[in-house]
Amino acid sequence: MITVTINGKDIKLEKPVTILEAARTAGIEIPTLCYHESLELYGGCRLCLVEVEKMPKLQTACTLYVTDGMVVRTESEQIADARRGILEFLLINHPLDCPYCDKAGECDLQDLVEKYGPTAGRFAEGKRKHPESFDDPIIVRNMERCVMCTRCVRMCDGVQGDSAIAVTNRGSHSFIEPFSGGRYNCEYCGNCLTVCPVGAIMSRLHRHSYRAWLVETEVNTVCSYCGVGCSMVIQVRNNSINRVVPRFGLGINNGLLCVRGRFGYDYVGNEQRIKSPLVKKGGKLEPVTWNEAFNTVADRLKALRERYGGSALAGIASGRCTNEENYVFQKLMRCGLGTNNIDSSARLGYSGAQRYLENIFGQGVTANPIYGIANSEAILIVGGDPTAINPILGLQIRTASRNGARVITIGYAPGLERFNSIGLKPRIFTEGILLSGILCEILKIKPFTGENQTLESVIKGLSLRPAREIAEICRLAEDDIRKAAEAICNVSSISIVIGQDIIQRSNGNRNLFMLSSIGYMLNARMTLLSERPNEQGTIDMGCLPDMLPGGRPLEIETFRKRYEGLAGTEIPSGPGLTLMEMVEAAEAGQIKAMYIMGENPVFNLPDSNAVKKALGSLEFLVVQDIFLSETAKIADVVLPALAWSEKEGTYTNLERRMQHVRRAVDIQGMEDWRIISEIGKRLEVSMPYNSSEDIMAEMVRVSPLHTGLTYEDVDKGNALWPYKGEPLRAEMPSLSLSDENIIADKGKLYLMVRRPLFHSGTLSRRSYALNNICSEPYLRISRAVAERLSVKDGDVLKVSTVKGSLQVKTKVDISLNDSAVLLTNNFEGMGAFSLLGYKLDPVTKAPGIEGTEVTIEKGKPR
Amino acid sequence: MLSEKAIKQVDEIIARYPAKRSAVMPALYIAQMEFGWLTPEAIEAVSEATGVPKATVKGVATFYAMYKHKPIGRHLIQLCTNVSCMIFGAERLVDIIKNKYGLEAGGTTADGRFSLVIMECIGACGTAPAMLVDTDFHENLTEENIVKILENYK
Amino acid sequence: METILLKNIENPNSADIDEYIKAGGYRSLQKAIEMQPKAIIDEVKKSGLRGRGGAGFPTGMKWTFASSDPKTPRYLLCNADEGEPGTFKDRPILEKNPHLLIEGMAIAGYAIGAEYGYIYLRGEYPGAKDILDTAIRQAYDRGLLGDNILGRAVRFHLSVHQGAGAYICGEETALIESLEGERGQPRIKPPFPVNVGAWSKPTVINNVETLSNIPYIIETGAEAYSKIGSRDCPGPKLYCVSGHVERPGVYELPMGINLRDIIYTHAGGIRGGEKLKAVIPGGVSTPILPPDKIDCPMDFVNMPKHGSMLGSGAVMVFDDTVCLVKVCYRALRFFDHESCGKCTPCREGTGWLSNILGRIEHGKGRDGDIELLLDVAGNMLGKTFCPLGDGAASVVQNFIRHFRPEFEGHIRDAGCRLQN
Ligand SMILES: Cc1cc2nc3c(=O)[nH]c(=O)nc-3n(C[C@H](O)[C@H](O)[C@H](O)COP(=O)(O)O)c2cc1C
Ligand code: SF4
Ligand code: FES
Repeated sequence: MITVTINGKDIKLEKPVTILEAARTAGIEIPTLCYHESLELYGGCRLCLVEVEKMPKLQTACTLYVTDGMVVRTESEQIADARRGILEFLLINHPLDCPYCDKAGECDLQDLVEKYGPTAGRFAEGKRKHPESFDDPIIVRNMERCVMCTRCVRMCDGVQGDSAIAVTNRGSHSFIEPFSGGRYNCEYCGNCLTVCPVGAIMSRLHRHSYRAWLVETEVNTVCSYCGVGCSMVIQVRNNSINRVVPRFGLGINNGLLCVRGRFGYDYVGNEQRIKSPLVKKGGKLEPVTWNEAFNTVADRLKALRERYGGSALAGIASGRCTNEENYVFQKLMRCGLGTNNIDSSARLGYSGAQRYLENIFGQGVTANPIYGIANSEAILIVGGDPTAINPILGLQIRTASRNGARVITIGYAPGLERFNSIGLKPRIFTEGILLSGILCEILKIKPFTGENQTLESVIKGLSLRPAREIAEICRLAEDDIRKAAEAICNVSSISIVIGQDIIQRSNGNRNLFMLSSIGYMLNARMTLLSERPNEQGTIDMGCLPDMLPGGRPLEIETFRKRYEGLAGTEIPSGPGLTLMEMVEAAEAGQIKAMYIMGENPVFNLPDSNAVKKALGSLEFLVVQDIFLSETAKIADVVLPALAWSEKEGTYTNLERRMQHVRRAVDIQGMEDWRIISEIGKRLEVSMPYNSSEDIMAEMVRVSPLHTGLTYEDVDKGNALWPYKGEPLRAEMPSLSLSDENIIADKGKLYLMVRRPLFHSGTLSRRSYALNNICSEPYLRISRAVAERLSVKDGDVLKVSTVKGSLQVKTKVDISLNDSAVLLTNNFEGMGAFSLLGYKLDPVTKAPGIEGTEVTIEKGKPR
Repeated sequence: MLSEKAIKQVDEIIARYPAKRSAVMPALYIAQMEFGWLTPEAIEAVSEATGVPKATVKGVATFYAMYKHKPIGRHLIQLCTNVSCMIFGAERLVDIIKNKYGLEAGGTTADGRFSLVIMECIGACGTAPAMLVDTDFHENLTEENIVKILENYK
Repeated sequence: METILLKNIENPNSADIDEYIKAGGYRSLQKAIEMQPKAIIDEVKKSGLRGRGGAGFPTGMKWTFASSDPKTPRYLLCNADEGEPGTFKDRPILEKNPHLLIEGMAIAGYAIGAEYGYIYLRGEYPGAKDILDTAIRQAYDRGLLGDNILGRAVRFHLSVHQGAGAYICGEETALIESLEGERGQPRIKPPFPVNVGAWSKPTVINNVETLSNIPYIIETGAEAYSKIGSRDCPGPKLYCVSGHVERPGVYELPMGINLRDIIYTHAGGIRGGEKLKAVIPGGVSTPILPPDKIDCPMDFVNMPKHGSMLGSGAVMVFDDTVCLVKVCYRALRFFDHESCGKCTPCREGTGWLSNILGRIEHGKGRDGDIELLLDVAGNMLGKTFCPLGDGAASVVQNFIRHFRPEFEGHIRDAGCRLQN
């Protein structure tokens, strides 16, 4: 126990902290500027000077750790003089443009000067001049206002890990700038904006429209972009979003955001939003009344059900919609249309993989807290770059790395390149084989525990290739495989992070088996990356062809009966079709009608031209969306949905934490659940809801997983299920590895989908801000390929596959393997999926998109 | 990118330290030799060779006064004007250079022959005033001998 | 007095290893590695050696701190940044007696258990870089550096890390930052480098001259060594004298020698028989002294009692022709140029002070400027992150304290009477 006396008050502390922290625990305020609780200590501004007995000079409270018996004074004439002096120094070169500055009202310098500052200026020399920089599309930099606290740099370097900005020059010429001196070209997390205490770095999005005192309401909500579910505050003015900010101490992101969350919110205000229901008349979508739209949908679906039976109908739910919406949606499909043909784009990776892992280990096996990753001693990352897919989760890996964790990446993960201890880049499509090699090495080190005998017997039965052979197939050094295995073997806590790239394989289940086995041998926590905010919710709400709400298998009668009892209707007992199967069935004429909520399969599914044809051949297609997407354009009825900031409900993130999404602005249209219930009512389904909370109340009665849960629990942050249940379907995969065929041929190039940081599905292309950062796709090619074709950044290339061709600009990517080229799937008319075929994985039913050979040639300049 | 030889040199330097990052300053010297001055490409090359982010490398490069951020002449005159040199007339030497070669402090002659940099103390106070031309020390400078010395550099 | 640090430097080949060995070099290293490391540290402690970098910290104590920290590896850094204006005392060792330093470092490395050493050499000494590189290569070739020094299981590797023009890198934590490839800005202390230094490991940083004392101490013993110099500060000291004396240069003299003696006896007095106006005794950062205050023993303990500091032992002598406002202005321009920019008072204050002084010097001084200077300096002093900012403030304060009328005259006369 340490006792320190501050201003005569005795403060008892368990462990040594700085004087500043000690003072704050006792409610004693010491002014600071460069200090920030999330950043490395700096001690540069010198505002926090205090008197410490027995020390001749004033000391900085933010850097000096207390010792037992220390006596501190935080107020005295000497201290007041010092503070005044420091503030004067800060002001001599600071422009006095507060009335014009967007920071006014929430500027630390303004507040400090008001409280402690000097009165009259006596600085007679000329002030430093730096013109405001508008070189960046998103960030305005005003270095005249900079107080050199370096909080932005410490944020960028020490927390975000992007190191895109730095202090350049020295002394009074010090300057903070990105490498280019103008455009940031960074990860655009904007976390530097959060920590800038003055108006030196600010967002352009709300330039001169934001004033702290003009914010009318602040609404706590959750981001709509990815499966991390960052908390954020929407600041509203004039019934529209003025700004979105994170808050330290709030949510899993604790003050941080990524580019999409911070800047991508403006899609909700996009002029192209669908404003009224549309019905196709004479081949054209025409605005109609809600009533007409509801009746059309209900009548058509009823007629088709009567004519073809429920099995000819199908629904696609959405990982972008709330739990409540997804719950009502599956109820409509099951009880109103009599079909289990219900799935979502979570099928493209997340849901199939989770089901696979849960079958081995039990429900909730991937529901691991995100912060646990930062505390791991080793992390194995396979199948995607977490810093792009789930950026805030990615930061946990960077933090772990800084804390000395061993980080092993397999495959393309440029955002972790500076943070990994071993980065293995096997030849494309051989990741699974590499994993088997790593497993083989682990088996040499780690004994079996006997905990899961079934799994162990499968592992024992594997005939694994020797490391030498694997090294040759993967084109890696044998030693590196061994080192990677050793690095993750002897640690007490390890996380495995799994991305879609290895799930979207026709043999993705084998990759998952290898990861399961590695995870089992090492007692690892497993996390699945999730591209949408509520993929987990679609699963938990029963938007799966074989699962009821609460993740209950449909074929188990007790669960089904319970569901039927509560719904008052019978539902089909056999599983429905999965996502890609539905599309195939539509093409084959077996599916006649589809209801698609918040999803754009025509663009987002592989072989998208074929998908378009299949959906185009339906007798009836309903699309509920906020924009007239590629899919909505071919629909018979389009129902305008609400955007995330307009609705109330919950999302469940990838750690299975349920969080509250709140309405921030008044709405013009209709809540999505209300749209569905209106249709449901017309189909005689009981949907007596007046609010999303009513739906939650019903859902928790149906789902044994959520029993008793209320919005209040959600708001308290208690809605998290990290438990491990028993496997509900004990299926042990049978595997034979000898027939593993190796797809990639030497010298050939294969197309892969890149999951970018700046965009997310087709939603973000409607964000003005994100488009300004990144407005077009780039074909990423390795340096070797670039040299072979003698092309450089920005050259236009023609990429062709058997499915078609595109003209795209190119970017040389030194993180890339020689056998693959990468293309994002976000921009209209430029989708990677239009060039890719697929083959379903027989177990996860995820589309395997590997093996599409591409040819690249120099294209015509566009 | 750096030449293969330079990359080899950098790798050798990296081996001297427990952390790769320590090679940034030596690598900047090497890149400065290769590129003539620290062009953006030179800094990117150092970034790639050392694994240190390029903005950070730029931050380091601009902190130190002896790295060059614009093209310099064939010969670099680094003339000290700190106190001990100043009291022996170093400032007049600056004027002489200016008059003789049309060369301002911080500038380069039109023919690319000389660049002039004003230095803080270069450790030749006992033989002040002094300058470095490229890597050669010249001490006990006078208004008379300075031009003669400089004329040896073509 | 026999020369210890500058021994043999009149020999044109003094930097060559053969010449050095011929003159008895590396015997001390031989002797040292037959001793227990602790015994070496004890000997250094007993010798009373204090660091010659400016602060005068007892070297043996520093070594004890580092060697008793259990973290490994440990590092030994030689501070050869010699940036303090007026200072050129390390240069002759670096250029003419490099093996003395190498030998000292090898002994120190062995004593503190450091297997790696680095000489942080200022960028302004390109010649010394080549000389040191050659000398180090020679030492490796003779088995005096490397994995098996003198055939024993003693390991010490040494290389030169070249700075690039930043005075602040002479400050030990800034030096470490720079060595690690960062901007050379000082680090928060505590923790001190002896515990958390280079690459977060225990690190000893010593000045060139400090380390060059080691071979002699080990060879002749602490007792003999401590007979040289003053009681509080034993040993020889390099004093570098510049400015208006008859014979400027580096003088190896006992610690504690009287400042007046240095100027009048060794450096030959004021040049041309002019009148002495002022002396800065230890480099620009140390307080200036008027002629009537120069009877003081030049060591770390006594100089503060006489209103100044020993600093780097750089004696700068000004005769009557010198305008001290101009000197003060030039000194502040130096601090402004060299401020690292980390802390507010130094970053903003040095520039402000220098601006005001510039104005005064150029005849644009105003009433109240002297008070303003003192007030701004007062707002800096004691509040900066590292001593550089303090140095800048105290230069202004001390120049005004002793030579206020000259500043007043500049303001009153709108310029300098001595010039123009
Ligand atoms: C601003 C500043 C500059 C310094 N410059 C030097 C220098 O150039 N050379 C040096 O040896 N010590 C310099 N020092 C002192 C070092 O911080 C450190 O005290 C010294 O290297 C320790 O070595 P010693 O114990 O052998 O004296 C400087 C200190 C400060 C605050
Ligand atoms: S006093 Fe402050 S700004 Fe000046 S050199 Fe030291 S840390 Fe840097
Ligand atoms: S808050 Fe302590 S120095 Fe800035």
